[in-house]
Amino acid sequence: MNTAALPPTAWTTGTTEVFKTGTWRAALPLYLHRPSPCRSACPVSGRIADWIGLARAEDFYGAWTALVENNPFPAVAGRVCHHPCESACNRAGYDAAVSICALERHIGDLALAEGWRFPETPESEDRVAIVGGGPSGLSAAYQLRRRGYAVAIFEAGRELGGLLRDGIPPYRLPRAVLDGEIKRILALGIDVHTGVAIANTEQFLRLHGEYDAVYLAMGARRQKRLPQLDYGKSRVMDGAAYLAAANAGKPPALGKRVAVIGGGSAALDVARSARRAGHEVSVIALESEAQMPAQREEVVQAKEEGIALYDGALLQSVSNGKLQCLRVNFKGNNPLEFTKIAGSDFILEADAIVAAIGQDPDLAALRPLLAVDGALLRTDASRATSLEGVFAGGDVASTARFVTQAIGMGKQAAAEIDRWLMGDEPLGTPHEDTVPGAAINTFYHPRAERPAASTLALGERLHGYAEVKGGFAAEQALAEAARCFSCGRCTFCDNCFQFCPDMAVRHVPGGYAIATEYCKGCGLCVQECPTGSLVMREESR
Amino acid sequence: MSTKRVLLTGNHAAAWGARLARPKVVPVYPITPQTPVLELLTEFQAAGEFDAEILTPESEHSVMAACIPASLTGVRVFTATASQGLMLMHEVLHYAVGARAPIVMVNVNRTIGSPWAFWPDQTDSVAQRDTGWIQYYVENAQEALDTVIQAYRVAEGVSIPAMINLDAFYVSHALEPVAIPEQELVDAYLPPYRPAHFLEPGRNESWGNVVTQEMYYRHRRDIGAAMDRVPALAVEADRDWELATGRGWGAIERYRCEGAEIVIVTMGSMCGTARDAVDALREAGVAAGLVKVRLFRPLPSAALRKALAGARDVLVLDRNFSPGVGGVLHQELRAALYGMKSAPQVHGYLAGVGGVNVPPDRIVHFAREARASDAEPEPVWVK
Amino acid sequence: MGQMIDMLCSGHAACPGCMEALSLRHVIAELGPDTVAVIPPSCLAIMAGPQPFSGLRIPVYQPTLESSAAAASGIRRALDVRGRKDTHVVALAGDGGTYDIGFQSLSSAAERNENILYVCFDNEGYMNTGAQKSSSTPHFARTSSTPAGKHSRKKNLTEIMAAHEIPYAATATPGYLDDLLQKVRKAKSMRGLRLITLLVPCLDGWGVPDHFGVGLSRLAVESGVFPLYEVEDGARYKLTGPGKTRPVADYLNVQRRYRDVDEAEVEQLQREVDAGWQRLLEKAKPC
Ligand SMILES: Cc1cc2nc3c(=O)[nH]c(=O)nc-3n(C[C@H](O)[C@H](O)[C@H](O)COP(=O)(O)OP(=O)(O)OC[C@H]3O[C@@H](n4cnc5c(N)ncnc54)[C@H](O)[C@@H]3O)c2cc1C
Ligand SMILES: Cc1ncc(C[n+]2csc(CCOP(=O)(O)OP(=O)(O)O)c2C)c(N)n1
Ligand code: SF4
Ligand code: SF4
Ligand code: SF4
Ligand SMILES: [Mg+2]
Repeated sequence: MNTAALPPTAWTTGTTEVFKTGTWRAALPLYLHRPSPCRSACPVSGRIADWIGLARAEDFYGAWTALVENNPFPAVAGRVCHHPCESACNRAGYDAAVSICALERHIGDLALAEGWRFPETPESEDRVAIVGGGPSGLSAAYQLRRRGYAVAIFEAGRELGGLLRDGIPPYRLPRAVLDGEIKRILALGIDVHTGVAIANTEQFLRLHGEYDAVYLAMGARRQKRLPQLDYGKSRVMDGAAYLAAANAGKPPALGKRVAVIGGGSAALDVARSARRAGHEVSVIALESEAQMPAQREEVVQAKEEGIALYDGALLQSVSNGKLQCLRVNFKGNNPLEFTKIAGSDFILEADAIVAAIGQDPDLAALRPLLAVDGALLRTDASRATSLEGVFAGGDVASTARFVTQAIGMGKQAAAEIDRWLMGDEPLGTPHEDTVPGAAINTFYHPRAERPAASTLALGERLHGYAEVKGGFAAEQALAEAARCFSCGRCTFCDNCFQFCPDMAVRHVPGGYAIATEYCKGCGLCVQECPTGSLVMREESR
Repeated sequence: MSTKRVLLTGNHAAAWGARLARPKVVPVYPITPQTPVLELLTEFQAAGEFDAEILTPESEHSVMAACIPASLTGVRVFTATASQGLMLMHEVLHYAVGARAPIVMVNVNRTIGSPWAFWPDQTDSVAQRDTGWIQYYVENAQEALDTVIQAYRVAEGVSIPAMINLDAFYVSHALEPVAIPEQELVDAYLPPYRPAHFLEPGRNESWGNVVTQEMYYRHRRDIGAAMDRVPALAVEADRDWELATGRGWGAIERYRCEGAEIVIVTMGSMCGTARDAVDALREAGVAAGLVKVRLFRPLPSAALRKALAGARDVLVLDRNFSPGVGGVLHQELRAALYGMKSAPQVHGYLAGVGGVNVPPDRIVHFAREARASDAEPEPVWVK
Repeated sequence: MGQMIDMLCSGHAACPGCMEALSLRHVIAELGPDTVAVIPPSCLAIMAGPQPFSGLRIPVYQPTLESSAAAASGIRRALDVRGRKDTHVVALAGDGGTYDIGFQSLSSAAERNENILYVCFDNEGYMNTGAQKSSSTPHFARTSSTPAGKHSRKKNLTEIMAAHEIPYAATATPGYLDDLLQKVRKAKSMRGLRLITLLVPCLDGWGVPDHFGVGLSRLAVESGVFPLYEVEDGARYKLTGPGKTRPVADYLNVQRRYRDVDEAEVEQLQREVDAGWQRLLEKAKPC
């Protein structure tokens, strides 16, 4: 026997690395870049976890850069977004959702204060026309311009902004903020034609011929009307008209008592604007208070401001300043689904009535050329209309009547126009599973209170149009950024590396990798990940 | 400078041997009658004459447990114990051999409880014969000193620990003139300990990992091979010592064995008395001799067969007792001589068990009795 | 946490998700390459590897079960005489090898204040031999030698060792990794006998899933069953972990070894934990 070749019986000569314990395993950890639920819920698909992460690291410029990748209006959205991201936030199931919206505002305001600008992009030959200078049109213009296209906006009104200007009152969205963010977009070099309505078929066809692609974002500007009302009377008016005037600083004279009809944001904006114009204001809403589509905060503030709310109430008729009303049980979203409560009649006296019960697009000029879907322009999953090279989004093509929905559709349309002009396949919206709350190891996230935003004292609210809601102080913003779980966004905390008993997590350039020859599949790395950036995948051998 | 001659007990002589061998770590625990070894070493250390780490754990078990890895860390290690202490070490004595740690230990042979007793008896150390330790049995203080030093040469040569046994009181406490060699002489005889493997950061060598059946088998076989080299190495170490000091002791010693018909075989202090008995018997015309077994483990069987060839009777005097078998040396010798052509008959006398005094005239009597009878297979209890 | 250089090697044979392996990894990484380790029979010895392969990149000596502290002392003294006084000697032993069979040698090493770090990997039982009870097994826990639950309480090693007035005695557990590393770092900077009682949940022995060791380690702390603290010179106590924030039941309910405890036993355990906390608080009170 050749003893020299045999392993020594004492004193080691090598390491256990010769044993490939990976064969023990039934499941392997996998680094996954799953979207956070906030991102999936976000209408602009914002990289929320990313920009909050950057803000937490006090890289606010980086945070803003990540934010504006998907939305050129962070200061606007940070004020008026209905923030579905927060309802989806994983932290909601733990203590309270992260104040994503307020953080966005903080960063947006900081960018305006600092004068941060978008990088300049040289213009290419391809030209895109955009009809409507509201949030959706501006968003598309911005995205296309950043992709290098030459962009022209055709806006019927005298100024850009759409409902951000004509609808949302300045006490919710200060005009300096709106103007600042629009100006920054225009600084990219956009050809703006205000006071130009594309109001008939010819005009539209000319545009279609002159430009390589068209994006229609005319909004829904035709106020729906109540048959019970005689709009010929001087003190009966559309909410849209009231707000357009009030927002421009010229609220119409309507007597002392104003009754507002409607339960949405628009109705409350009318009511609160009228309150600021010195009226006694009542709101009649078909929905119960809890059902009202307006944001909760708006309802609360409206009541604080002394507005009388008649919820679950139907206006039946009007005669001589007397509003005949009846209590109802409202069933669902459809305004026709309610039951009357017998014997609950009441009378409300008012000098003027303003109805804000919704708006429809004005499609008269387009109907002969484009397919429609009820009151909306018909679009497919890639935002294309029935006419080649014509895309549409925002209120004109959707019932999701929110600012960020409009921005998101503008962004999507820009990507699809780009894709179409390049001759590529439609992108569509890929569906990915989001990071579930259970994937977050909350040991690493001590419970912490969600900070309450400051609100303007009541006394100061009613004189003028000062902004009601305050923003975060710098420390507050940092503390709030720290509450974010960073769902699905590896923070390089190193836990997966540190907690592996088998040294099977390795540092590699840009992150981590699993040494599959050694990983025993215990799942500790996954369990100890504070961000849900890892999952166990079963393996079959 | 010349060799000093001083009166020393066996214990102090052993301590001197240890001092001269320059061990670096000395874990030790007191037990009668070993205590003076410990005391003298600590005195040496306190006087700055002994540059070693002395460590005094709570038990002999921990003493040996500390000795082994200290040795594996690449330094020379010494300790001393007796009786119960040796018993308590039993598990780790085996461990030391497996670790191939060339520790040198003095054991003062003392009765094992129960009942409690403090007499010379070699059962404690012969009971460790399967642990794999090299075992020497010495007769007097000088031999104790010399053997401690020689034992390092042998132990380190084969990486097997060595135990030097001296009988309680008869050797451990008896004052005798002892020649203490010069340090330079000892240094020249015993070079510093430089093992091939040792525990040290950066060397990537660990000791004690679990082995396969095959590795265990080979490990044990290697220990056996190392043991097989011991008799020759012990003889060589002794010859070199003799060259340096003029004193040699042999692996076994043959005393007046020329033409002996009866040869007494024993170990330790009994050898001195047996020598007197042999003289008396020779004077009386009986062809008697003595074979002193100095190296008991490994048993130098070849040398014993050679030494005992031609004798009609061999009388083994065992100062130990293994119940159910008898004297351990008796057993060993019968086994060693078995199958030898015209092997002598081996008489096994349990003489001196429990430390009872066995004067020369009793040994003379035993010898005459043995010569006159056939050897019994069973041990014979004698006083 | 700085750049960690691992001294434990992949390929060791500990169970998937083993807390002992995880803790070992960090303890020896923190001690660094100038260290010699002593590992007695225990699950740690499994990680030490089969001959001729070592699981550790530092030299290891494997003594008999009862003699870690003595062995570490022997190595310490040998290194000292070889001039390597700054090389760390660490004993890495199980609770059986510490609280029980190895206790007398540990107590003696403590009395001699040997310059060694002793880390007891306390998995509350003889796990290597199939999960029998040790004197560290807690009250009412089922083991393979206490099938009806243990009738006596767990020994308090940290307190016993603190009573030896050693320079440093501390508790730690891998769920609080920073605390653990901080303690190893502190112990490393001191001389004399330093002890860390490291609670390492045994997945199989305690009955929890492979990925839950760290979580369970935290429950032990949060329930006050295993408070994190340190004691210097047997006198200066300092709490280093979070307070007692959960009922003991939260800790018990997730473990199979407490499967059969009844309400009265849970209450009794709660009382024992509360009393232990109170005593500790009094000792840790600034005076
Ligand atoms: C009072 C009110 C308050 C609201 N508050 C909120 C809120 O707080 N949060 C929220 O998320 N959403 C709110 N909304 C909804 C939100 O404002 C809209 O969903 C969003 O503005 C739609 O954007 P858009 O770009 O599609 O259309 P718009 O904002 O309506 O912009 C369309 C633009 O196109 C122009 N245009 C129309 N026709 C033509 C044409 N033929 N040629 C050229 N230009 C044309 C219009 O002048 C307008 O500028 C509110 C709506 C109202 C009415
Ligand atoms: C003297 C002795 N008795 C018994 C054993 C068997 N044995 C090996 S490991 C072990 C259990 C050790 O338990 P612990 O120290 O808690 O380590 P764990 O296995 O739990 O890691 C026992 C009893 C032994 N090796 N030596
Ligand atoms: S915790 Fe952060 S990343 Fe996760 S859903 Fe909430 S905001 Fe988004
Ligand atoms: S912690 Fe390590 S061994 Fe466990 S699953 Fe993750 S990579 Fe694999
Ligand atoms: S544990 Fe930390 S480093 Fe690892 S994937 Fe999760 S967030 Fe990233
Ligand atoms: Mg254990």
